[in-house]
Amino acid sequence: MTQATLLHRGWIAVVLWLAALAAGALVIARTPFSTDLSAFLPAAPDARQRALIEQLRSGVAARTLLIGIRGGDAAQRAAASRALAERLRADPAFEQVLNGDFVAFAAVGRWVFEHRYLLSPAVDARRFGAEGLREAIDDTLSLLGTPAGAAVKPLLDRDPTGEAQRIAEGAASGGGPRTHDGVWISRDGQQALLMTHSRAEGGDLDAQARALAAIRDGFAAVAAPGLELQLSGAPKFAVDARAQIQAETRALIITGTVLMGGLLLLAFASLKALAAAMLPVATGIVAGVAAVSLAFGNVHGATLGFGTTLIGEAVDYAIYYLIQARTAGDAPGQGWRRWVRDSWPTVRLGVLTSVCGFLALVFSGFAGLAQLGVFSIAGLVAAALTARHVLPVWMPDGASGIGARRQLGRGAAALVRTLPRARHVFTALGVAALVLLFVRRDALWQTELSSLSPVSAQALALDAQLRDELLAGDERTMVAVSGNDLEAVLQAVEAVGARLDALVAGGRLLGYDAITRWLPSQATQQRRRAALPDAARLQANLAEATRDGPLAARRLGPFVQDVQRAREMPAITRESLAGTPVATLAAALLAHGSDGEFTALLPVMRAPGRGGEAAPAAIGQALHGIDAAQAFNVADELRRLYRHYIGEAQRQALLGAAGVVLLMALWLRSLPRLLAVCKPLALAVLLTMAGFAALDIPLGILHLVGLLLVVAVGSNYSLFLDWLRHQHASDDDTLASLLLANVTIVLSFGLIAASAIPALSAIGRVVAPGALLALLLSAAYAAPSARSPARAP
Amino acid sequence: MHAPERRRACLFAVACTLCAPAWAAFGFDELMAVLAQRKAGEVRFSEERAVSGLDQPLRYSGTMSFSAPDRLERQTLTPRRESFVVDGNEVTLQRGDRVRRLALDSLPELAAMVAALRGTLSGDGSVLRRYFNPTVSGAAARWTLTLVPLDVRLLGVVRLLRIDGMHGDVRVVELQLADGDRTVTTIEPMTAAKAPATS
Repeated sequence: MTQATLLHRGWIAVVLWLAALAAGALVIARTPFSTDLSAFLPAAPDARQRALIEQLRSGVAARTLLIGIRGGDAAQRAAASRALAERLRADPAFEQVLNGDFVAFAAVGRWVFEHRYLLSPAVDARRFGAEGLREAIDDTLSLLGTPAGAAVKPLLDRDPTGEAQRIAEGAASGGGPRTHDGVWISRDGQQALLMTHSRAEGGDLDAQARALAAIRDGFAAVAAPGLELQLSGAPKFAVDARAQIQAETRALIITGTVLMGGLLLLAFASLKALAAAMLPVATGIVAGVAAVSLAFGNVHGATLGFGTTLIGEAVDYAIYYLIQARTAGDAPGQGWRRWVRDSWPTVRLGVLTSVCGFLALVFSGFAGLAQLGVFSIAGLVAAALTARHVLPVWMPDGASGIGARRQLGRGAAALVRTLPRARHVFTALGVAALVLLFVRRDALWQTELSSLSPVSAQALALDAQLRDELLAGDERTMVAVSGNDLEAVLQAVEAVGARLDALVAGGRLLGYDAITRWLPSQATQQRRRAALPDAARLQANLAEATRDGPLAARRLGPFVQDVQRAREMPAITRESLAGTPVATLAAALLAHGSDGEFTALLPVMRAPGRGGEAAPAAIGQALHGIDAAQAFNVADELRRLYRHYIGEAQRQALLGAAGVVLLMALWLRSLPRLLAVCKPLALAVLLTMAGFAALDIPLGILHLVGLLLVVAVGSNYSLFLDWLRHQHASDDDTLASLLLANVTIVLSFGLIAASAIPALSAIGRVVAPGALLALLLSAAYAAPSARSPARAP
Repeated sequence: MHAPERRRACLFAVACTLCAPAWAAFGFDELMAVLAQRKAGEVRFSEERAVSGLDQPLRYSGTMSFSAPDRLERQTLTPRRESFVVDGNEVTLQRGDRVRRLALDSLPELAAMVAALRGTLSGDGSVLRRYFNPTVSGAAARWTLTLVPLDVRLLGVVRLLRIDGMHGDVRVVELQLADGDRTVTTIEPMTAAKAPATS
């Protein structure tokens, strides 16, 4: 091959590279960036978990803000609650503002009243016979003359049988926080409580941020001095996290770049070399973002933050090239050929092992982690290709500057000389680590999904307190009913409801909620409608039922009219509920998955005391025979889900590690060499894990990601040192490049370790010490016996 | 009760009346002290409610019982059986075969009514003062306790409660609603033999 064709081929690579960069930039320009925290919630395997995650992600919970008002005195808090609620109710951003004031339910009440003959569980043929009417009217009248009568009396002529009351009884069962002065207060009386549902979806973070601002502004405008506003709920966490991710990502990218730049400048003492080193990094980031965008349609903020870790890893390839390709005995312009011949296969193998490790993430089931995997694979491959094909064209002999390389090389050589003497210390540490890990094996892994949550413990405590006060009782126990046919699901919910009614009567449950309160099955609606007599018969029955009674039949014309109207009324359907005041209530109780499956959730409120303790078992028994229904505890279920995923992730990580070993075995084709290469990596992972165990920090999925990175990065060190050993060469330049690469990694991940975003800091805290250990251990186990005189620099 | 004992009780009552200085009016605290001596009891009630718009008053009767500090039970026997039991914060309503369980503190109006009864029956002035502005007229032998709700919202529904009694016994509870409706509950001891009129 002539020099000209080689040069020609080099320029083709550059043109292709530029074209790829341009295409990547184009893709990125059209990429929506998201900070949706649920990306770190797993994709759920079964219908009820899907419904649960769906509720967490986009259900009513994602639109609900919990508000507490503290400080001042009770009257000030109540006044602030009323004034704030009034302001927010006038704001179209809020669908519902609840503070214990009945005003909030007025619209729901009107809708329910209008549809009462389709909704009331009491409606049957007997109820509209003379005897049934007499009993129902007696029941209603028994409320008159008591404070409860105030609600009944104005509607007596239209609803003498008390159907509205009957529906309200079911819906309010167990209900709500304590009320004082007409507003909700906490059990200790020191806090006024409110709850809002925004009109915008939970995922619309701009709208959620505006809603939060509206609440803060409203509070500032109405509250007496000394009162304190407390805010919590999924939208608040999401908005805060977005702000945090944006600020941190920016800070990480800037400090990471500056730090890396300073370090490289120190090492190379050349701006040109610095620019060259940044080339693969920038290319890798562009490729990573573009690949994620193409694969997922959006890029998560945390993925971008993670991109800064690539500065540390991708810069390695540039460092290897720039140092190792230096002219030393070669003709000028030929250094890159030697590098391609001698070093590139090792770097390529390192890239392949990294890809192998990150493939495990791609299949992890967490959208957020899959993004990290795709990002890393595309980024590393692009960075390595840039180092291989683009850098030789620009700097065919590597970086010419000397900088601190000589010192680095000497330091690295000293390490390689002295560390093997400490081998037995490392081996002993490894054994101790194994013992520690075995002893602590039960407490090694996190079991809480919330460990992935970027929310501070303090914020979580406030959230738990407000949630406990506002969403009274044991909301965490639920029955889920799912199926593809809505009518079948609704009928099953009604069957479940009938069994739960028995538990309520038996004192096990305080009550439960169900979609069929607002949307009974069509069969039930038809049965109720069929039970309504025509005007003539109803009048005759009424005359008999009210004979000698206190309520005269002649007053009840509006009742007869309403019953006739109900006979003609179209049935309530899922579609017809949209836009009604009960739409929010219904949405919390019935989910329609993207796969077409309907899942109804029935939150169950346990009775306090002994009766309630046996409730979960009793519910399980009560559901026997209704196949579509399952009872579960939300907290248990989330924990189970997380355990499932960490198990899955562990399996995948092991598979990834096995892939790494297999690749190296194929390349090395020698068992002793394979063992020599794997030993430092395995030890580095062991010691890192043991460090966490010793500090009592349970490991989560993100730590696992960090361990994968340790293996990916560390395999480069151990392969290079192995290669050097088998070349019978100890190249101070190669050693210097390894040390420099390691310092950049440890620094950039050290930076990430200090991040306040738990997802990032977890990875950083594993990789920074792990990578350092990987280099030290690789040096320790690289045999220095076959040392030949170092080449002159 | 044996005759000597009864005589002794009467003497004691007379002595108390005599010993009480004439200028010490019978007030809220004194009434509470008298009422606090009663720990439990069961009575018969009959209730008449005058409700505007109805052709005739509503009439109910049954039994009520109380055991200190906070269990209150009302069994309606006529015209139909119905029961209402409050124990601590737990309310159980039963009508026919339908049972409802509620948390008292989530129902402010009911909570106030229950506080009025429990506070009076157990002589717990602090409970009454939490919900009402209480005033007492009369003397130990025949007193009237008037309770006006403090909560503005409750005041929109309940104008006042008037409780008439003799010594430690409640005789009449009158509930006046804001719309003019009025419920008068007359209370009698279970049997003349079992429960002495005064003690």
